[in-house]
Amino acid sequence: MTTNIEQQINETWGQPFVEDAKISIRNMDVFYADKQAIFDVNLDIGKHEVTALIGPSGCGKSTFLRCLNRMNDTIPICRVAGDISLDGENIYDTHKDPVLLRARVGMVFQKPNPFPKSVYENVAYGPRLHGLALNRAELDDIVVTSLKKAGLYNEVKNRLHSVATGLSGGQQQRLCIARTIAISPEVILMDEPASSLDPIATAIIEELIDELRKNYTIAIVTHSMQQAARVSQRTAYFHLGRIIEVGETTQIFTNPQHELTENYITGRFG
Amino acid sequence: MNNTEQIKKSLKKRYRQEKRFRLLSLLAVLTGFACLFILLVDMIIKASPAFIQTEVKLDIYFSPEKLNISANFDLEALQNANFRGLIKQSLHQLFPTVRKRSDKRALMRLISVDAEYRLRDKLQAEPQLLGETVPIWLLVDDDVDTYLKSDKQFGRVSQEQIAWITELEQQDRFQQRFNYWFFQTGDSREPELAGILGAVMGSFYTLLVTLLLSFPIGVMAAVYLEEFAPRNRWIDFIEVNINNLAAVPSIVFGLLGLAVFINFFGLPRSAPLVGGIVLALMTLPTIIIASRSAIKAVSPSMREAALGLGASKIQVAFHHVVPLAMPGILTGTIIGLAQALGETAPLLMIGMVAFIVDIPQGATDAATVLPVQIYLWADSPERAFVAKTAAAILVLLLFLVAMNGLAVWLRKKFERRW
Repeated sequence: MTTNIEQQINETWGQPFVEDAKISIRNMDVFYADKQAIFDVNLDIGKHEVTALIGPSGCGKSTFLRCLNRMNDTIPICRVAGDISLDGENIYDTHKDPVLLRARVGMVFQKPNPFPKSVYENVAYGPRLHGLALNRAELDDIVVTSLKKAGLYNEVKNRLHSVATGLSGGQQQRLCIARTIAISPEVILMDEPASSLDPIATAIIEELIDELRKNYTIAIVTHSMQQAARVSQRTAYFHLGRIIEVGETTQIFTNPQHELTENYITGRFG
Repeated sequence: MNNTEQIKKSLKKRYRQEKRFRLLSLLAVLTGFACLFILLVDMIIKASPAFIQTEVKLDIYFSPEKLNISANFDLEALQNANFRGLIKQSLHQLFPTVRKRSDKRALMRLISVDAEYRLRDKLQAEPQLLGETVPIWLLVDDDVDTYLKSDKQFGRVSQEQIAWITELEQQDRFQQRFNYWFFQTGDSREPELAGILGAVMGSFYTLLVTLLLSFPIGVMAAVYLEEFAPRNRWIDFIEVNINNLAAVPSIVFGLLGLAVFINFFGLPRSAPLVGGIVLALMTLPTIIIASRSAIKAVSPSMREAALGLGASKIQVAFHHVVPLAMPGILTGTIIGLAQALGETAPLLMIGMVAFIVDIPQGATDAATVLPVQIYLWADSPERAFVAKTAAAILVLLLFLVAMNGLAVWLRKKFERRW
């Protein structure tokens, strides 16, 4: 039985490829110094849908996600091999600028990390950085629109200029989302965005993700199977640096093909 | 015996230990505080005479004949005029019985050498006084000053001088007033004329140069090492050497300053510019080490947040990391500058120990600094310099408190909640 599973993890079950891919990953390997963290991963992230990445801790989901906007460049010992393309262009080409890439592929982190500045300054930082607003009125407009999209505006409209770290955890996380969408990225990567939030704040974030899907392509790492089932259209199951199975979320959760996936989602493993 | 009893037994012991430890810590704090208190009280007591200066009232007749100037005198005539003679004359009127030449000189020695210049300034300011007799307060010599301040116990005064002083006292010709002079002049061989302003300005210019050099260089080096430098053997080597530099005896820096900045680059001797450069070299490791740990302490999530928005590395560093690290950087800078303020040895090597009367007007004028001034005065034989030394120490401490106050204020300003 066990040997059977070991043999089977070398290939990905399900449908890793989609017709309308925003990001396509082919034969991706990631190494931390000598240790390999990701093994030959192939996956498409479809346009305007939410792709959930699930799997046990240390399976490489976050590493995988962070490679999609070259966040791992900041780790000197990290090396990425293979082909990752955004709209058909390889993002790891030497002439491709990670700064531009990160403006197109935004990221929301596990722990809410607003800058210790005002709510307004937090959202305005990105547009200012990239010169997206020509004047104060435009900037105000971007800030308000982003906060509205993140469903935070009504809660903070009277305290736009008070310090952001005074907000609650859920509000901070939505502020981070507002900050990310203020520069109108095409893709939003979310690394367990609700893991430090209570169920109510989580529900708000999940609704928000569903809403954002209309305009953005989203990849989300989550430890909560229910969350993956609720918000995503496609789900990929990671195990020890490999994608074991990937497919429609409903199919993965109701009728997993691979034994490891089944074990994980039924709670017998992981 | 169950667990609860076991824990109860050990609890007693733990509380006892805690109590003992608390007591010891309190004792340590009190000891430190007591030392500081003793130092301060001792300094204040020793320094208090320096803030008071005795003056004597003499009736001065601005005699045109004696001064050898006419009604419409010019500056040059004033420079050459014999104001000393006026004082002699006035003293002669007070003590007509003093005839012997040596006695006359002893009498004259009661008055500070500064007195004649004060008369000259007075006449220059009010030319109409020529030909008039006016009572004027003049500084007494430091020996007389010490004698009067110490309840007539100390002071190098002869029997005759004591008699004259008593006579003047009976005529109510002495007054003691706050010693503004001390805060307005530079050094002097005469204790009653010696002031601290020259050293204060010297310290100010020196520290200014130190700050302007070491702060930007130190912060930039720290930012580079923490945020940009690749991890390799060269960087490790640099790191080790920065740490070593912090432990180099300060006099070595002085020798370096002498050899490189003065002898090779030909910068002026005794100048705050060179002193500042030397102290900046000395302060750099402190600032770099403190800044690096402050930068390291900035949460990585801040860097990620900014990077994730498409900020370049340099934007991450200067928009977020450095401002957040600023309180720590400032603390390090102030510690470094406080060290530099108290440093004497390297400045001796570059000539800042010279006897300099003029108040420096800039970083290239010859100057001395507060700790060197303290050293110079502590080394002087006149008794009046004891009080001056203590007063200079107080001024140095005040300088330090002001600097720390500024740092605390800046830190409060930059500190932000996470």
